[in-house]
Amino acid sequence: MNVASRLPDSAAAALADRPATSAKPPFLGFGLGLRHQHYDEILSGNPPIDWFEVISENYMLPGGQPLRTLDRICERYPVVMHGVSMSIASTAPPNFEYLQALKDFAGRVEPKWVSDHLCWTGVHGKNLHDLLPIPYTSEALDHVVNRVQLVQDFLGRAIVLENVSTYVQFNNSEMTEWEFLAELSRRSGCWLLFDVNNVYVSAFNHGYDPMTFLNGIPADRVVQFHMAGHSHMGTHIIDTHDHPVCEDVWELYAAALKRFGRVSTMIERDDNIPPLDELLLEVARTREMAGKVLPAE
Amino acid sequence: MNNFARQQSEFQRGILDGDETVLAEILDSPREKRDVLFGVYRYAYGSRLVEAMRNDHELLHLYLGDEMFDEMGHAYVKARPSEHPNLRWFSQGLPEFLKSTAPYSEHPVLCDLAALEKALNDAFDAAEGKVVELTDMAGFAPEAWSGLRFRPHPSASRLELATNAAAIWLALKNDEAPPEATALEQPARLLIWRQDVTPMFRELLAEEAMMWDEAANGIPFGVLCEMLATYDDPDSAAGRGAGYLHGWITAGLLTDVSVGS
Repeated sequence: MNVASRLPDSAAAALADRPATSAKPPFLGFGLGLRHQHYDEILSGNPPIDWFEVISENYMLPGGQPLRTLDRICERYPVVMHGVSMSIASTAPPNFEYLQALKDFAGRVEPKWVSDHLCWTGVHGKNLHDLLPIPYTSEALDHVVNRVQLVQDFLGRAIVLENVSTYVQFNNSEMTEWEFLAELSRRSGCWLLFDVNNVYVSAFNHGYDPMTFLNGIPADRVVQFHMAGHSHMGTHIIDTHDHPVCEDVWELYAAALKRFGRVSTMIERDDNIPPLDELLLEVARTREMAGKVLPAE
Repeated sequence: MNNFARQQSEFQRGILDGDETVLAEILDSPREKRDVLFGVYRYAYGSRLVEAMRNDHELLHLYLGDEMFDEMGHAYVKARPSEHPNLRWFSQGLPEFLKSTAPYSEHPVLCDLAALEKALNDAFDAAEGKVVELTDMAGFAPEAWSGLRFRPHPSASRLELATNAAAIWLALKNDEAPPEATALEQPARLLIWRQDVTPMFRELLAEEAMMWDEAANGIPFGVLCEMLATYDDPDSAAGRGAGYLHGWITAGLLTDVSVGS
């Protein structure tokens, strides 16, 4: 489906393609989401983790132990920042206070990249602290492309956006989620974080083949994979990030490796945090699968 | 308002207020009705925020138990929707809410317990600051001492509690049965701060509390000692003042000492 062909002429002119001028972020290897339960083990040992992803908002604080610990981890590992509050698809005015705090934090961390989600978190001054879905319309696409460009200009770097798990679809959508993401990336120059679990969850919830989603994403725009677990409710799946990665998602990961190649991969556990060793087994499995699927360098 | 903005407003109303307008624009899935699917967002909203409150107010949660805490939490979520992008700040208004909202306002120990936990949380991730050491004091000539002014560490704050919430906090923290909540004849004057990475609090005598508050206002040491003289034996006022100051410095409570007008 050619999205651009459906745009009004004026919008198409105003939103002329912006070439992705920033260099593609590097391949970091196989990482893990940093959680405070593992600080001591990470700092006192030498766990086989190539890099860490940190939840930006957990450290966008005045000071204290979280920031001090993060400083020490940044000295030893590559770090990427992953936010949950950019609300890039919100129709509310941009929150420049948040963006400035994010930019200041990035100045401290010097992350390999800064990511957030294709979603919105609230309007009218409220924040629902959730990754809320959008209709896949040309109106929404124009809005988000503009917003991404604004944020990238403000931060002085291309951002990375993740597909979220969704539970509802809107009847006014004019394109699929993967078409929306592909166009968004092409027009705004943002990179994509392909959350393998989220694709699996949304595909189940909305009744499509996750491979269709996977094959609809431009291979050269994906710079990171997320691997996580979920909760199956029978008629739908909830993205709880509190379970080990399930076998179906591992299979989809193998397919993602085949399509997207060497992409920085990480295990993301947000709740029910297990001992580090348990997560290291999952990190080792991402590394092992990539070794089997990808041709040797 | 464009269509996208209208849809987001309706979606948000559907979560916050139970409004069902947005359901007309949502599809059933192959396996489930739209109202059930939209309900995932409604449920997640309240449960996520109450979970954040449980994390911020671990001992208030322990004191009230799951059922009462969650009922209180959902009332707070309803009354004060989050307006900050960072969940860290969501429960900042809880002490004020408990103080002003029945039936919680009828139990002032709840407000006090929440206020103490909030103060400790705020100290935990407060801004960094230089810590004055005892050796720094050696640089001041004896005649300069009366003009010394003190600046509290950024993590330091004061709290006055009308109840024995501090004793309840300590008992809960030590896995002991908390004492019965009681109103105090005189408010408990607490000083809260972070020593290295650990949040601390301790109770102050009335005159130390006065001296701390006035020192934080920029009053010089000489005047502070004169003020102490009005609280107790005037002859020992300077010694008491020096004793309190020593305690503040060894606890890491000061970020600067200077001589000046």
